Amino acid sequence: MNSSFLDRLLRNWLTLRKPVSRLQAVGLGVACILLCLTGWWLITHGANESRLVGPLTLPSPAETFSKFSELWNDFALTRNVLVTLRRVSIGFALALMVGIPIGVTAGCFPRVHAFLSPLIMIGRNVPLAAVLPLMIFIFGAGEKNKVMFIFVASVAFVISDAARAIMDVSARYIDTAYTLGASRWQTISKVLVPLAAPTIFSACRQMFGLAFGYIMLAESIKIADEVGGLGYQIQIFQRRGFREHIYLIILVIPMVALVIDQVLAWIQRQLFPHMHGGDGMLRSLVRITLIPWESLKSLVFYRTPVSLSSAATEERLK
Amino acid sequence: MSQPPAQVIGMGTVLDHVRTPQEVLRPHVVEFRNVTKTYNAGKADEFTAIRDVTFVVEDVVEKGEFICVLGPSGCGKSTILRSIAGLEPQHPATSGEVLVLGQPVVGPGSDRGMVFQDYTSFDHRTVLENVTFGLECLHMPRKPRDELGREWIHKMGLNVGTDAHKYPHELSGGMRQRVAIARTLILKPRIILMDEPFGALDPLTRLNMQDLLVKLWKEVQATVFFITHSIEEAVFLGDRVYLMSNSPGTILEELKIEPATSSANEMQRQPKFLEAVYYIRDKITKLESNQ
Ligand SMILES: Nc1ncnc2c1ncn2[C@@H]1O[C@H](COP(=O)(O)OP(=O)(O)OP(=O)(O)O)[C@@H](O)[C@H]1O
Ligand SMILES: [Mg+2]
Repeated sequence: MNSSFLDRLLRNWLTLRKPVSRLQAVGLGVACILLCLTGWWLITHGANESRLVGPLTLPSPAETFSKFSELWNDFALTRNVLVTLRRVSIGFALALMVGIPIGVTAGCFPRVHAFLSPLIMIGRNVPLAAVLPLMIFIFGAGEKNKVMFIFVASVAFVISDAARAIMDVSARYIDTAYTLGASRWQTISKVLVPLAAPTIFSACRQMFGLAFGYIMLAESIKIADEVGGLGYQIQIFQRRGFREHIYLIILVIPMVALVIDQVLAWIQRQLFPHMHGGDGMLRSLVRITLIPWESLKSLVFYRTPVSLSSAATEERLK
Repeated sequence: MSQPPAQVIGMGTVLDHVRTPQEVLRPHVVEFRNVTKTYNAGKADEFTAIRDVTFVVEDVVEKGEFICVLGPSGCGKSTILRSIAGLEPQHPATSGEVLVLGQPVVGPGSDRGMVFQDYTSFDHRTVLENVTFGLECLHMPRKPRDELGREWIHKMGLNVGTDAHKYPHELSGGMRQRVAIARTLILKPRIILMDEPFGALDPLTRLNMQDLLVKLWKEVQATVFFITHSIEEAVFLGDRVYLMSNSPGTILEELKIEPATSSANEMQRQPKFLEAVYYIRDKITKLESNQ
């Protein structure tokens, strides 16, 4: 009986790609965190001299977490997180607003793509360490250089990912749309873009994570006045030798990233129910807001086509 | 105009030659005049798929004809169909003329609806939104559009209540092809082009779809071009069957078929039906062995 239980357990755990229940997934994640914390505690416990790893390299968990209230209150953690988020969001939103229309155009028209490809090539391979000083020369101290840094770092990737996604939509959908009477513009707006949108969204969701990392780089350069933001904070802690604070920030950043990613995942589910199985709330919302616009177009453009009117059928029957 | 001497085989009548546009006096729906299509012309991998294809489909008032195209794989059936649809790269033809209602084909349009073999439902649209896609492109107002859409969903044997708001990935293959057909027929095209639409369906679903198609075709009164690999399907559905020979493809024989009098399942047991089927099967077997 005992062995059959073991058998079952093994079979359950070692089945290839077997889906895990949500509860188990969370449980396993928590187990990993606990394991790491225990390891951390083990190598840093005891008096300073008897520790496996010295306190200058790695403070103990208790020492680290005791500094949290200081980080939260004296160093205004929330404000700094928001400052950083604001910069990266504005810069990334700009990159999306510019990059997606250009990318979609390039994906639809290979000549536009060919024309832009040298710029995309340069943009994707530009060394970030060189962009940063340039942005400071051009935009001076202050917020602008950081926002523009994120824009420049991500826009070429947005363009090429959007173009790729459009090009990957199978040609048979274009053929189908055309034989159903769609114009070129309707084929782009009703078929190509919506079919490519989930791919573009996932790509951008990943890129936002990267941009969140880049921004710290830009924040770690202090030019004039205090700039704020997580990257700047890390810089200060480094100068003052506050190890505990740095470790705390390293722990805080993934949590912030996790929250953002979960929000984006939710949006994705609500926007693309056919891909991610959500209930499509945002999709319905988008469609509802488009109704007045659609009705207006019907008023202006709609003429009952000859083939659909009953007169045409009678005509043919004569 | 005197009819050429013809050979009667079961339900079919084999014409002694494929009719040319000159000898058919009634208005023409589709005509091919010496059409040749060479893919990648001028390059190393240049390939002539069809050569010198000439045929004519007349406008049969009140119903339109149901044309089935049979032939070995790779003989150029899809090439002919897509030229009529005006889809690239088959359009434009390398030489010769493709005319629809007397006018040269310049590009695709909703007057020539097409149903493809592989599933081409728009994945991001529900069944209802798929069916009404063409009407939406015409800017038809939402209310009458959805009403008409529901009507067609019902006509196709789908359940308006439960299926209308499903996404294509929630449908079976047969249901998807029903959506694809509804989406085309709702626009009442003059010509319906179907490239092996039932190729991926199981035999029973296929028979049901054939019966449904016959019923709906009578309603929309269009000329249908129907490509299939199933000889039974061609003889059951077709008013006329074109037999094609191998590459470079050309139309070898034209058969006129008596209209079917009962359901697909029953027709397929009748001796005169089978006689026509066996005749065509022998022809195609011979063609494929000559390859
Ligand atoms: N876009 C293309 N470029 C080059 N060759 C092509 C192209 N499309 C088709 N061909 C070739 O032309 C020939 C005819 O193709 P077509 O698709 O018309 O055949 P078919 O009769 O529809 O075959 P099947 O019954 O297998 O669908 C084939 O040999 C094919 O290899
Ligand atoms: Mg084919």
